[in-house]
Amino acid sequence: MYPQLHIPDGFLSPQISIVLWVATAVLIGIAVRKTSRTDARLIASQPILMGVLGAFIFAAQMFNFPVATGTSGHLLGGVLAGYLLGPWAGTIVMATVIGIQALLFQDGGLLVLGANIFNMGVIGTLGGSFVARGIGTTLGGSRSATILGAGVAAWLAVVAAAGFTTLQLGLSGTTNIAVGLPAMLGVHALIGIGEALITIAALTFIAQTAPDILSGVSAPRKASPVRRLVTGVVIAGGVATLASLFASADPDGLEAVAEQLGFLDAGQSAPFELFPDYTIPGLDGTASTVIAGVLGIIVVIGVLLAFGRIARNRAKS
Amino acid sequence: MIAEPRSVGRDARAAVITTLAFVTAVALLPPGSYLALLFAWLLLAFAGALLGISPTRLARRGLVALPFVVAAVPIVFLRNDELLWAGTIGPLSLQVSGAGLRIVLTALLKAWISVQASVLLLALASPPSIVTALRRMRLPDVIATSAGLTIRYLELLRDEARRMLRARTARAASPVGVGRERIGGTIAWRARTTGSLVGSLFLRAYSRAQRIEEAAASRGATGSLSVGTLPVADPRLTLKIAGVLALVLALTLAGALLPRL
Repeated sequence: MYPQLHIPDGFLSPQISIVLWVATAVLIGIAVRKTSRTDARLIASQPILMGVLGAFIFAAQMFNFPVATGTSGHLLGGVLAGYLLGPWAGTIVMATVIGIQALLFQDGGLLVLGANIFNMGVIGTLGGSFVARGIGTTLGGSRSATILGAGVAAWLAVVAAAGFTTLQLGLSGTTNIAVGLPAMLGVHALIGIGEALITIAALTFIAQTAPDILSGVSAPRKASPVRRLVTGVVIAGGVATLASLFASADPDGLEAVAEQLGFLDAGQSAPFELFPDYTIPGLDGTASTVIAGVLGIIVVIGVLLAFGRIARNRAKS
Repeated sequence: MIAEPRSVGRDARAAVITTLAFVTAVALLPPGSYLALLFAWLLLAFAGALLGISPTRLARRGLVALPFVVAAVPIVFLRNDELLWAGTIGPLSLQVSGAGLRIVLTALLKAWISVQASVLLLALASPPSIVTALRRMRLPDVIATSAGLTIRYLELLRDEARRMLRARTARAASPVGVGRERIGGTIAWRARTTGSLVGSLFLRAYSRAQRIEEAAASRGATGSLSVGTLPVADPRLTLKIAGVLALVLALTLAGALLPRL
């Protein structure tokens, strides 16, 4: 028995649940837009394929295998769904699966459903799929490279979902982040190995048995770098805005935890501060917090792009 | 909240809204409002009795969410306020915080009650009618269609998965022996076996999707399942929503007025 990721109602504060519902709704809205904009033939087939594959993910979560006595590896399936259907359709499928688990099986709560979809569907599937693509492209873009990328992303997706779950619980005051985070990350670093191995094995099996399906289902389309950048900035900006609004509504959740444990002082001795307390000097109030959040995201994306370019040049030479 | 159970063709919007509102109102109750939570549970038990579900059965169904408490337990020992007990057990020095205990207990009760609320929703409305209700509440068509199909093929594929698992067990890729201490093969081998099962289940699901698609296309389907007529709109929906608001208000008042521990 390990701490699982489907949060039940009552463990997250209503404020955090609602903020995450909004974030999830926005991202799922974008996903719906993206999937309905594919070519005419796919409009007819996509919902049917998505629906049946939703049932497939559900059933595939039943498969487990023993890692050691007492622990078993099993599948969440987010990155697998993203690889087979594309990141956006995969995200919708996972959101549907998580929603049905809550409504029909009481696995995860209703008010916290937004959070559960955010952690496992959006972070796990959307984030995971883009990470998988990034790794696959960097390694040369062959079939086995993309499958390896999916495996790494699958591990990352499970660990990230566990991390986000713990942070949300911590901000709600129902867990202690300093103790809970290492514990959850540690356990899920192990569980994630199962996820990664199953994802790799399943995709390898499909690639060997029915290569035509895989090339038809997940033909990696090349978006222009500019468009990709714009999409990235828009999504990140939206999340940053939401997050900073929420941060200003409940400014000291994490800090309270830090203070309790007496490591707040340790946290303040950073050598330099770009945006002290997430505000821009000279501006104040919510606007400043939001702008600081957006600027932070832009800086992070810039750094990521620089790394990406370096990695690509390495791969070429 | 009184309706015929399992009414497929009914407008389930009132039931969906009631459940969501109830769960939200329960979530809003501050820590320690045990009396208000008791009031909430009595409301549920009453509604359950009207639907023919005994309170004990309902209470037992609520237990599924409780293992999650593992994640919340640390705060009982790590908060420094309202110390109830402090001492040492062997090499460990432990303290029990009253505030932490209150938070964990409240979260547990809220989880337990909320699960029972969604059990009642299922007694009141069938899964397809819940999807229809959500579509009426502006759930995008792609999601509604894919959710409807997932629900329809869920049991079929789960059954297929169960048969594959049984076949695997028969071929010993799972722990064997009395204490299950002996495990066949290396981890990588076991993972590959499981992954191949997942892969072949995908291929079966994929070809099933293709057959459904061809059958649907031959009957002139356009890709959305929303073609069928919606059930007649509930004429008393506004009235029922007013009732829901009263319920939420009553619960919130109970949270504010009843003494907390």
